[in-house]
Amino acid sequence: MAPELISSLSLWQEPFMQRALIGGVISGILGGWVGSIAVLRQLSFFAEALGQASLLGISLALLVGLSPPVLLWPFALGFAWLLRELLKRSSLSADALLSLMCSGALALSVVLLSSLPGARLSLQQLLFGDILGIAWADLLPLTLLLVVTLAYGVTSRRAQILISVDPVLARSRGVAVETHRLILLGLLALVVAASIKAVGVLLISGFVVIPACVARLLSRSFNVYVLLAAAIGALSAVVGLFGSAVFNQPSGPMVVLVQALLFVVALLAGRWVGQTTTAASVDRAR
Amino acid sequence: MTASLLEVNDLCISRAGHEVVSGVSFALQPGSDTAVIGPNGAGKSTLVQALVGLLPHQGGTIRLLGHTLPRSGRLPREVRDQVAYLPQKLLLDGRFPLSVSEFVRLGCSPCCNHRKAVPAALERLQVSHLRRRLLSELSGGELQRVLLAFCTVHPRKLLVFDEPRTGLDPQAAVQLQELLQQLRLQEGLTILQITHDLSMVRRSSDWVLCLNRALCCQGPPEHTLSREELERLYGRDYVLYEHSHHH
Repeated sequence: MAPELISSLSLWQEPFMQRALIGGVISGILGGWVGSIAVLRQLSFFAEALGQASLLGISLALLVGLSPPVLLWPFALGFAWLLRELLKRSSLSADALLSLMCSGALALSVVLLSSLPGARLSLQQLLFGDILGIAWADLLPLTLLLVVTLAYGVTSRRAQILISVDPVLARSRGVAVETHRLILLGLLALVVAASIKAVGVLLISGFVVIPACVARLLSRSFNVYVLLAAAIGALSAVVGLFGSAVFNQPSGPMVVLVQALLFVVALLAGRWVGQTTTAASVDRAR
Repeated sequence: MTASLLEVNDLCISRAGHEVVSGVSFALQPGSDTAVIGPNGAGKSTLVQALVGLLPHQGGTIRLLGHTLPRSGRLPREVRDQVAYLPQKLLLDGRFPLSVSEFVRLGCSPCCNHRKAVPAALERLQVSHLRRRLLSELSGGELQRVLLAFCTVHPRKLLVFDEPRTGLDPQAAVQLQELLQQLRLQEGLTILQITHDLSMVRRSSDWVLCLNRALCCQGPPEHTLSREELERLYGRDYVLYEHSHHH
């Protein structure tokens, strides 16, 4: 174990590991922020559907001979818009419709991929991520997305909270509810598309949702909740990447495994904090 | 005669192609407490939502604080800052990570000094001790007080409530009504509330709008809550039920 650890430490000096680290931290912060709002709006399954549809975007890109990242971002935006319109117009419940779209997109993408003459991408990389394959060119759009997302997060904080508390209350306070909903779905689609390389199609919803669930267990204010979700996203990306190098495992499962472990720790810590808080309240009441 | 805070003339509101409110006219005087009563589906929520700019109206005029509202329903900024609306119930889930003081601060306008205004609003509504609690941990009565603090953290002229006492036990309902009356007297607020609690209307309101798609009647409670008017509003069965309930 010790020699593996030393060799993995020396790996951090390699440019591909540094790129992976920067990409992982940016994706983690993005996933944490957008996930924290998506969980409050009950959009977790929406993230799952977008993740699986991304595979269809990649398949279509390969079919028409484009580089997958070129088509993936606009495809994710278009798919998010389509889902929203269907949810608005359909009489089906949201979970049934999302399940239908999710399975349909996955089935179509597998058929397309298998019919491609000479598969040019490893299915394992698509499904579980290949963070080590991040190039410097991939980091520029990721950084731009981070700047836009954080700027929007800071300026729309009041609107995000009020919409999450109650959309009618938010509208009565002058919040443009539909515009903010649309922007959030767009950002969620872009974050999912941008993070596919790091965690893969199958685990993307966990990557977005779990940091928010951990933060929710530990937070008693909105600001702490959002910051903690972003920090957990970044931390789990770093630890997962390190684990991926040490144990020679795909990066996506390692990152999500770290997040799941943090969730268990938060669950136990949250219970302990809850018991302590209750005891302190009883003492104060006396 | 003081100028009306709100004047509604021949208001018509349609939803999904059906007229829900038809030919409604009334006025609210500053500092008054007006109740909107009527059976379920009478258009009460639709009416008040149109008055605060949440729904468009297709006919008639709404003049609020000296401004005529556009048919599209969006309130001008200077009017919106003086009006607070509370929906029937908040769609809060279990562990919503929002403390009471964070929530009340959201009621501040950009020009308000939240460091002074939030503690003052919490103190006024007697909920200072709850400031660090999560919104989702509050009881029904506590939540209504915190919502009132949210509404009044910035000075307003009109408070509009959609059934503020829903889900409250009788004691909490009375306490909430007392707080509302206190706010009305101290801050000169005008109150418009939808309610089904006719005994509370009898005790506290000074004007009643009886709505069943159109206004059946309006006036002080002693006239509008008469047996004949209630029978006209709710039908014969309701009055028979109330009669047997009281005996």
